[in-house]
Amino acid sequence: MVDARPSLATDLGGLRLVAPTLMGSGCYGSGEEYGAFVDLARIGGVVLKSVTRHPRLGNDAPRLVPVASGLLNAIGLQNPGIDSYLAHDVAKFAQRPCAIVGSVAGFAIDDFADVTEKLAARDEIDAIELNISCPNVAHEGETFACDPGLAANATRVARAVTNKPLIVKLSPNVTDIALIARVVEAAGADALAVVNTVRGMAIDVDSVAPKLGNVTGGLSGAAIRPIAVLAVWEVARAVRIPILGQGGIETARDALEFILAGATAVSIGTGNFTDPRAPLAVADGILDYMTARGHASMRDVIGRANPKFLGAS
Amino acid sequence: MPALESPPTVHATVVCDRREPVPGIVILGCHAPELARIVRPGQFVMVVPPSGERVSTALGMYEARGERISLMLVVVGPRTRELALLGEGDALDMLGPLGNGFDLGALGRDVALVAGGVGIAPLLLPAQALLARGASVTLYYGARNAGALVDADRFAALGCAVVLATDDGSLGHHGYVTEPLARDGARHDTIAACGPSPMLRSVGRVAESLGIRAQLSLEETFACGVGACWGCVVPLDRASAQAPFFPPAAETESRTYVHARICKEGPVFWAHEIRW
Repeated sequence: MVDARPSLATDLGGLRLVAPTLMGSGCYGSGEEYGAFVDLARIGGVVLKSVTRHPRLGNDAPRLVPVASGLLNAIGLQNPGIDSYLAHDVAKFAQRPCAIVGSVAGFAIDDFADVTEKLAARDEIDAIELNISCPNVAHEGETFACDPGLAANATRVARAVTNKPLIVKLSPNVTDIALIARVVEAAGADALAVVNTVRGMAIDVDSVAPKLGNVTGGLSGAAIRPIAVLAVWEVARAVRIPILGQGGIETARDALEFILAGATAVSIGTGNFTDPRAPLAVADGILDYMTARGHASMRDVIGRANPKFLGAS
Repeated sequence: MPALESPPTVHATVVCDRREPVPGIVILGCHAPELARIVRPGQFVMVVPPSGERVSTALGMYEARGERISLMLVVVGPRTRELALLGEGDALDMLGPLGNGFDLGALGRDVALVAGGVGIAPLLLPAQALLARGASVTLYYGARNAGALVDADRFAALGCAVVLATDDGSLGHHGYVTEPLARDGARHDTIAACGPSPMLRSVGRVAESLGIRAQLSLEETFACGVGACWGCVVPLDRASAQAPFFPPAAETESRTYVHARICKEGPVFWAHEIRW
């Protein structure tokens, strides 16, 4: 062997990552909760739980229902609100040895502008994920990701208040995700997170009632992986900005499906609930794959299975 | 008494014995010296699924002695079925110890332990600790039928007074375990309970009527088990809640409760602080 080991380093719209593995928003707390189990310096970064303008109690229990090959959830964006978050939580993120992506959710266009501006101004935050696609809140938080005009507006107002990498999280619950991706790219996004959870529900046939307190929820886990891989495939053919692929990734081979479809990095969410060491195994497995095939960098792998991949070359 | 707060970590354990005292209820003994040393009564572990295909399962610690711990599981679905098939020599990774556990210091000199079904599991360690310090312990233990009661004789052998109840009347009191508790419970100074939510609510009501305090170990579906996902919550009286349960604000001012994580701030809560 003459060559050095391949590099897992990647660049997600200006967010430089040592490994192409981010931890999904809402699944990893602030990273602190998993620090006891995983060396955070070896993962790419953590996407924090979404924060909103005002504090939110979140949905009534039950908020989780394990289903075949997946998990239904309806947390409802429980969070302390941006002001308390800035005062009490954000300073702690400076200690994390990995990239920290703040996540912003909202119910009106102004929310995305105000919360993004406040959060992105903090040095502890390396990039912003715009969560325009939460399926679990009463005021139709997902509306923004399902309407091209609203998706573009939310992106535009957030773009106007920060120069940090702006990642916009898209919903799979649309007819044409490529259309939404294009307008969000045109509105100034640096990257797209593809995809949020798939809407679903479960009913208890004994009590004759929905199982979730919120009635409907978002489905994650292996059950949605093929849906998410297709979404990445389609978006990769529609936009030039990088894609953060997510949806049911548990192993390196799962992650490689997304990367080969056109994702520059992947996000692991529910997979952490199977085994918190999964992110490290995913990164190691991608490295092994690249080594075995003689790929020197992530650039050699990204979009390789997608002939019409438009991404940066 | 636990000397030091030990951070949770991943423990690679090996199953050293397996017992199925009742069909569908399996006790897995595991060689886990570190866990056995640091676990506090009422804490739990997240068991990493051997197949790696499902979310992990939260199980309360049943026994912890020497280098061995054991977990009691009831087979209810694919995840627990997979675990129930494990046997001696099988590897089993678990995250823990997790959760707050019972506040033994706040339990008194005459304690009622109240168990429903496999809610018996996290009560053995408190029983041992309470008896060791000279407290009087009465176990109120209810299950579907006589065949579903696990190890009641073991609690009796330790020195607990044992009161049994079965839904079908096949052994002990015919009815809910909270009925003998309500009838005889006035002599106790505190209660520690674990079981299904309806039973725990009933224990809370009985405790209030008796004028004594109760610690309830809640059962809930967990995803992460470590406080990251906010999927398991219980409404707590706002006055008793501290950060990080989140402060009140305009949108929530009319509410008198906040949502606390069962896996992180719990699983044990004071009954009088729960708003359910």
